[in-house]
Order: sequence, then structure tokens, then C-alpha cells
Amino acid sequence: MSIKMPVPDAGVLGRREEIITALRRIVPGEGVISSAAEMVPYESDALNSYRQPPMVVVLPNTTEQVAQVLKYCHDNGIRVVPRGSGTSLSGGSLPLADAVLLGMGKFKRIREIDFDNRVVVTEPGVTNLAISQAVAHAGFYYAPDPSSQIACSIGGNIAENSGGVHCLKYGMTTNNVLGCEIVLITGEILRIGGKAPECSGYDLMGVITGSEGLLGVVTEITVRILQKPETARAVMAGFPSVESAGECVARIIAAGIIPAGMEMMDKPATAAAEAFVNAGYPLDVEALLIVELDGPKVEVDELILRVDAIARECGQTTCQISNSEEERLLFWAGRKAAFPAVGRISPDYICMDGTIPRGRLAEALTRIRELSEKYQLRCANVFHAGDGNLHPLILFDANLPGEMDSAEAFGADILRTCVELGGVLTGEHGVGVEKRDLMPEMFSDIDLAQQQRLKCAFDSQGLLNPGKVFPTLHRCAELGRVHVHAGKLAFPELPRF
Amino acid sequence: MDILKVRDAADVEQVVQATLANEQPLEILGHGSKRAIGHASATNAVLDMSALDAIVSYEPNELLLTVGAGAPLADVLSLIDSKNQHFAFEPMNSAKLLGTGHDAGTIGGMLAAGFAGPRRVKDGGARDHLLGAHAVSGFGETFKTGGKVVKNVTGYDLCKLLCGSWGTLAVMTEVTLKVMPRPESQRTLVLLGLDDVTAVRAMTAALGSPYDVSGAAHLPASVLRDTDSRLTEIAGGKALTLVRLEGIAASVKHRAGSLTTTLATYGAADVVDDDVSTGLWPLVRDVTPFAADGAFGTRPVWRIVCPPASGGKLGQGLAGDTGGDVLYDWGGGLIWAALPADSDAHAALVRGRAEAVGGHATLVRAPETLRSTVDVFHPPQSGVAALTQRVKHSFDPKNILNRGRMTRGTTP
Repeated sequence: MSIKMPVPDAGVLGRREEIITALRRIVPGEGVISSAAEMVPYESDALNSYRQPPMVVVLPNTTEQVAQVLKYCHDNGIRVVPRGSGTSLSGGSLPLADAVLLGMGKFKRIREIDFDNRVVVTEPGVTNLAISQAVAHAGFYYAPDPSSQIACSIGGNIAENSGGVHCLKYGMTTNNVLGCEIVLITGEILRIGGKAPECSGYDLMGVITGSEGLLGVVTEITVRILQKPETARAVMAGFPSVESAGECVARIIAAGIIPAGMEMMDKPATAAAEAFVNAGYPLDVEALLIVELDGPKVEVDELILRVDAIARECGQTTCQISNSEEERLLFWAGRKAAFPAVGRISPDYICMDGTIPRGRLAEALTRIRELSEKYQLRCANVFHAGDGNLHPLILFDANLPGEMDSAEAFGADILRTCVELGGVLTGEHGVGVEKRDLMPEMFSDIDLAQQQRLKCAFDSQGLLNPGKVFPTLHRCAELGRVHVHAGKLAFPELPRF
Repeated sequence: MDILKVRDAADVEQVVQATLANEQPLEILGHGSKRAIGHASATNAVLDMSALDAIVSYEPNELLLTVGAGAPLADVLSLIDSKNQHFAFEPMNSAKLLGTGHDAGTIGGMLAAGFAGPRRVKDGGARDHLLGAHAVSGFGETFKTGGKVVKNVTGYDLCKLLCGSWGTLAVMTEVTLKVMPRPESQRTLVLLGLDDVTAVRAMTAALGSPYDVSGAAHLPASVLRDTDSRLTEIAGGKALTLVRLEGIAASVKHRAGSLTTTLATYGAADVVDDDVSTGLWPLVRDVTPFAADGAFGTRPVWRIVCPPASGGKLGQGLAGDTGGDVLYDWGGGLIWAALPADSDAHAALVRGRAEAVGGHATLVRAPETLRSTVDVFHPPQSGVAALTQRVKHSFDPKNILNRGRMTRGTTP
């Protein structure tokens, strides 16, 4: 692990037994896990190159228990790391040695399905897919579809503002959530928003979504559900260059078409995916584009022809149009399995998540190729082409000395490139620990101070999920000081932990 | 009154720094088109943002627009319209409702108010379309949040807080918005003569169908008094229920047919296409039946947001019990209520009933005297109120920016 986490509080560690006893009083039975062996599954999330056993794991059943656990931790100065299903790709729920790991896995009940208001009220431990399944009989679904949707919890989706291949048309989590019940670190239980289309006052739901577990612990969520489109079809087009595929993406958008999904893979990613699932991908193209249209059949049929015509103009060399649901799913099978497919051709890989302006795609891929040569590591690229979200997969072997460090340095350079090209560090995976120290590439000290001031409004002692998102910890009193003079705020240089 | 006409973001920072030094509150103003909404600002120093009107960049192929916060909304809309694009959330022009002329105001004002139009049911609100912002906080510091890409989760999404904060958190100077392709064609299904509860039921059926409804509004016959209005003409003395479909022509035609069948139990729908349809929705969006120069011009007007399916009963009850009039947008999720003048504009009744169904109410139009005694914005419950205050404090610790605009009787 090459990132520094906050120094554990020796005083807290010294009181471990007392803390465990107190937590057992709040959550009786098997809800408190403290043996080293039983805590192993909680040592990491999906960013599994980072590992840390927590001080203790607590798995509450009720909002009241969550409130009591948080209040106890608040009153006793104990750090808390919230966790959903543990599928974060950025280390969002990486434990701390001196922190209580608060697992929300027992909040597994869907509380209400309200078709008339087109919402589902659910507990946070319910998986993303389970929401869609619970309303499928009436033709509804929950739109955001992160690729981990079988496992990831809706609470984690709120924390990370998760996306998915369909978010170009249907939005991210933040565009599909209406309200929540949230417990603050003080133990206070608040209701924000609800079934109404927007909340009153400041849009607190909007800022809680994507706050990576630093503002509070969500115990109930109200999400919007939509009617499933009548039909969906996909075009799969191969291009002789990344440039021509990128041009095709731009022209589709310029023609006023917002596809349900628009995904691109480069040659190495296509080859790995094809070897894994035999989806019939062309292996002699530099870029493969999958464009999915959904809606009424008459609309999809017409838009498919328009997309095909645009792809021709842009010099596509291969083209297949799905004529059945099986065929459509086959087109996607390779793309959806791209990560494990890459896992088969390399002992280890890390997946990056920058976003760039779509128009800079060719430039970004050229820069990535140059970095690949510099670091002597292979890289395969999959790309949510419609919204500019790039997922370079860096292949390495952790058993070779120095290769893990090289891979991380390569990844950091890719994200710096994204920012340089006018993009951002993360499109959907979150900052977590993974990109924490890169935040200054995108934000000034003032930008980060303003975000941390907001954190202070929710958690004035910085006890919730410290060491994530922000590269430097500041005291709230210091952040809240008003400096009345012309020019920039005098920002004291604090050591990075 | 001291009007400080700033030229650029650096000027804004300097002004806020200076007012901070004097602990002098500052009213932030674009064109002032929505100045009559909220409580009167407790200050005589005005920051005039209208000169920050640059179109910084417009990239239709990236679906991105970056403009100064003082850019006139009307100009921006005609610019993006020239590329067949629009703001999908259909921002409201409140000028007619408030009686402030025609000016739709600035982009900064549009975001600070965050009043979305009929298409909110499909495409979300202003908050769903603000991607990035540069702003000056009440610390007198310029910060940025978000970015110039459509997909971004880097750091807290402060854009969400800025939308609908009525300038009380920070002064936006430059903003990046998502623009979307304008639908090629549209049709509106027209149902006549439904009572409010039945109409909301019909709209619920439409919005719960797979036909991708992009607008669902109901106007009781009593609100259609303006004889020059296209709405009145189509209604022919009856209540008017409108359901809009948009997209490519073939798809809209197909869906209009299917939806007519779905709604058959509520009556035989007339279908009006592009020319007529495009003319109707701006009238709904801007709440023209309650225009300041119309039959209801002297009444206070509430904007009530509630779970859509509960809208019919809530609206009908409020109208019946106060002798007032209501109209519905967002399939019942948005009720505009013009209630007869009364010492508190029926605030206790409106808020009590809205809360009972999980909604909230804003007193959008009322004389200043009334606004000095009634909370314009829905008072939050105590825990949320305290958090709201801490959030305000985290952006504007001395309560410099639009002091008192959102909270009656606020002191620093």
C-alpha cells in the first residue's frame, strides 16, 4: 500500500476491549465481530491491493442501532468507516486500524414499492439489481446499472454516485434518487427529501449523493423507477482508427441522438474480450463501437438506420446490427466481461476511471500509448464513449518487484492527462483512497477547503471515513476562520499524512 | 442604494472581501426578474452581475455550454436553439406570474431559483444539468466545483447545493451546463372535463406507461379565464388535461396512438401535433393562467411540490376549502395555488396539508408586507434546519450573501 492513512489513535486502540463491550450492548448477538479471523473479509473492498484489518466490525439491524453506534463513537472520539457490499473500486470502505467498520449489510429489506408515485423506498443494503427485480413484474426498473449491480448495494451507490453503461441517457445515481433517512455522526436521525420530485431548501440529497461515506450513514433511500423501454437494439461497428470511431460518436450526438449506451473498446480490450466470450468481435479493427438504442420498436428501428448511416460516413469497416435479444446480449457480453477478460491475460490489473471531453479521445489514447511504452506495461482501454468516461486497464504482475508501483504511477499519469485535457479524475468510481492524493491536480487549496468546510457542517470532528477523498486533514476551526484582507487566503502548509 | 456593477470574477471577489470587512450584507442581482421571490434582502448594497454575460464556450457535440452567470437566459436559449439544442429541464420564465415584464432573467438567476418546467417529470431539474461552477463564497474566495464533462464524481457535488440556494451560499460567476438535443417533434394528448382527482389518476397512468411522457398537466376550467389564451380556446369551457410526447416523428405518432388507448377509460383524447402542442407548454411552464395582469393577479400564489399521485386530492382540497384555484404540473407533483388573500395567505393550512403527504410549499408571489410575516420557503424540521444553518455557515460564515432571502428574520 503506497498511500499514507491517518495515524491510528493509540488511546482508542488501548480502549479496544471497552469499545467492543459498549458496541455489544448496542448491537447484541452476532452483530459485533472482533476476532482477527472473522474480520478478514472486511479488510478490503474491490480495490483489494489495499488492505487493513479494522479495529472491530459492527453490523447493526436498525436505524436506532446505527444512531447509537455513531453517537457512542462521536462521544468517544472514535473513527467510523461505513461499508455497503464492499464493491468500491476506489477504496471507499477501506478500514482504518483504529476505526469501527460499520457494515450496513443487514439493511436488506425493500420497505415500500409505490407504483403510483414511481418510487421504491428501500434499506441501503439491498442490491442495485434487487430493486429492479422487485418491480420487474410491473414493467418497471431502476435505471443506474453499475457493472457490479448483482452485488453492489444501493447505499454504496448513494455514497459513490454510481453510474453504469446507461447513464448517458438515464443519468447517474444522483439523478435517480429523491430522498433518504440519514444518521449523522452525532447520532441524529434526519429525513431529507422523500417521494416528492424535489426537496425543499438546500439540495442536501444532492450533496449527500457521491459524498463517499464522509457526511453520514444512510439508512433508508427513496429512488425513482422507470418503465422499461419497449425494446432495445444494438449496432456493433468496427473502425480502422480510434479517431474515426471518435468522430462517429461525435456525429451521433450532433445528429441529436442520445443512445441508451455507447461503448468503445480498443484493439487489446477487444481481443481479450473476444478470447473470453466469443462474441464474434472483429479482431482486425483498431476500435469497436457498440451503440444501443432503446424505446418503441418504430423509434429504435429508425434510429438504428441513422446510426448505421453515420458509422458508414465515418468509415466503419465492419458492422453488425442485432436482430434479436440474444444477439444484442451477445454484443454486450464481451464488453461487460472486459474486466475479467483482461484478468485472464494478466496476473493483475488496475482499472482507472478518468473522464475527458469526448473530442479529446484520440489524443488521450495516444498519450496512454506513450505512457504504456514509458512504463513498459500493457494497457487495454474500454470507454463509455457517450459521456467521455475512460477505463484504461493497466496490466501488471504484482509478483514482479516494483511492477505494482509502476502500475500505480502509470495510472496516476493517466489521470493527470485526463485533467490536462480538460477532464476529471473520476467519472464513476469515486476518489476514495485511490485518487485522494491526486485531488490537487484538479482542485486548488481553496477549492478543497470549501469542500472540507461542508464536511465540517456534517461532521465537525472528522470522524466519518477519514483518510478518504481529501489529501490533507484540516481542523474545522481553522477552515472556518475568515481572513479579511485582499488577495488569497493564507493557507498554512500542513504535512500530508 | 449602493449598486456595485462588477466586470468580472475578480471584481466579485473584491466586493465580497470588502463587504466582509464591514460585515455589510450584499444582495446578489442578475436582472432582478425574480427579486420579488423570497424575503426582501436585509441590505442596501447590491452586487449587479449582469456584466458577467460572456458565452465562454459552446460545444454542441460535447453537449456543453459554459457562460458567465450574468448571461441573459433568452440570449442563451436562442443560441442553443440555433443548434437544435435546449435545456431539457425547461426553465420557467416567472415574469408573467410576477408581473415583471418579459425578461426571463439571467442564467445565474435561473440556477439560483432552480424552477424547472413540465419536462422535469422526464429529464429532471436545473440541479440535474449544472455540471460545474466557479463561484465566490462568503469567505471572499473563488472556488470551483464540478467540471466541464457530463460524468464526474470528483469531490463533493457542490453544484447541487448552488441550484435552488437563491444566492445564499456563493456568488456563481461562471457555470457549465449540460445541453440536450431538442426533440424533433411533439404531440399532446388532450382530455377534457376531468375533475382534479381523476385527472391526476389519468396522468399517473400516463407517467407509469412505457411511452416516455415528457409533460403532464391539468388545468381546471375555473383557471382558464383568459379568453386570449390558447389553453382556454382548446378547453372550450371544460377542465383541460394535457399529456406531452416528444421524440422522432414516427415514435411520437406511435406512442400517441398507444397512450390514447391506455387513457381511453378517462375519455377520448384529442391529439394535437407540433404547431399547437409547442404553443401550449410554455403557457403551463410559466403559469400564465395566474399571470399578474390576469383574473388572479391580486392573489398570493403558492408553489407546492408533493408526491405526484397525492396531488389531485391535495389541490382539490386546498381550492375547495379556501375558495382558491389551483393548477397542476408534473403529473400532480407540482401544484400552483392562487388562494384568496388572507392574513397569512393560508400558510398554516397549505403547509400542514403539504407536509401531511410528504410535500412542501413556497409562497412564490405575495406582496412584501405579507412576505414579512409569512415564511416564503417551507420551514424545515428542526434537525434539517440546524444542518441547513451549518451548511450556510460553511459557505458564508458572516451571512453576507443575500442575508434573509430564504429565512425570515435571519440575523447573522
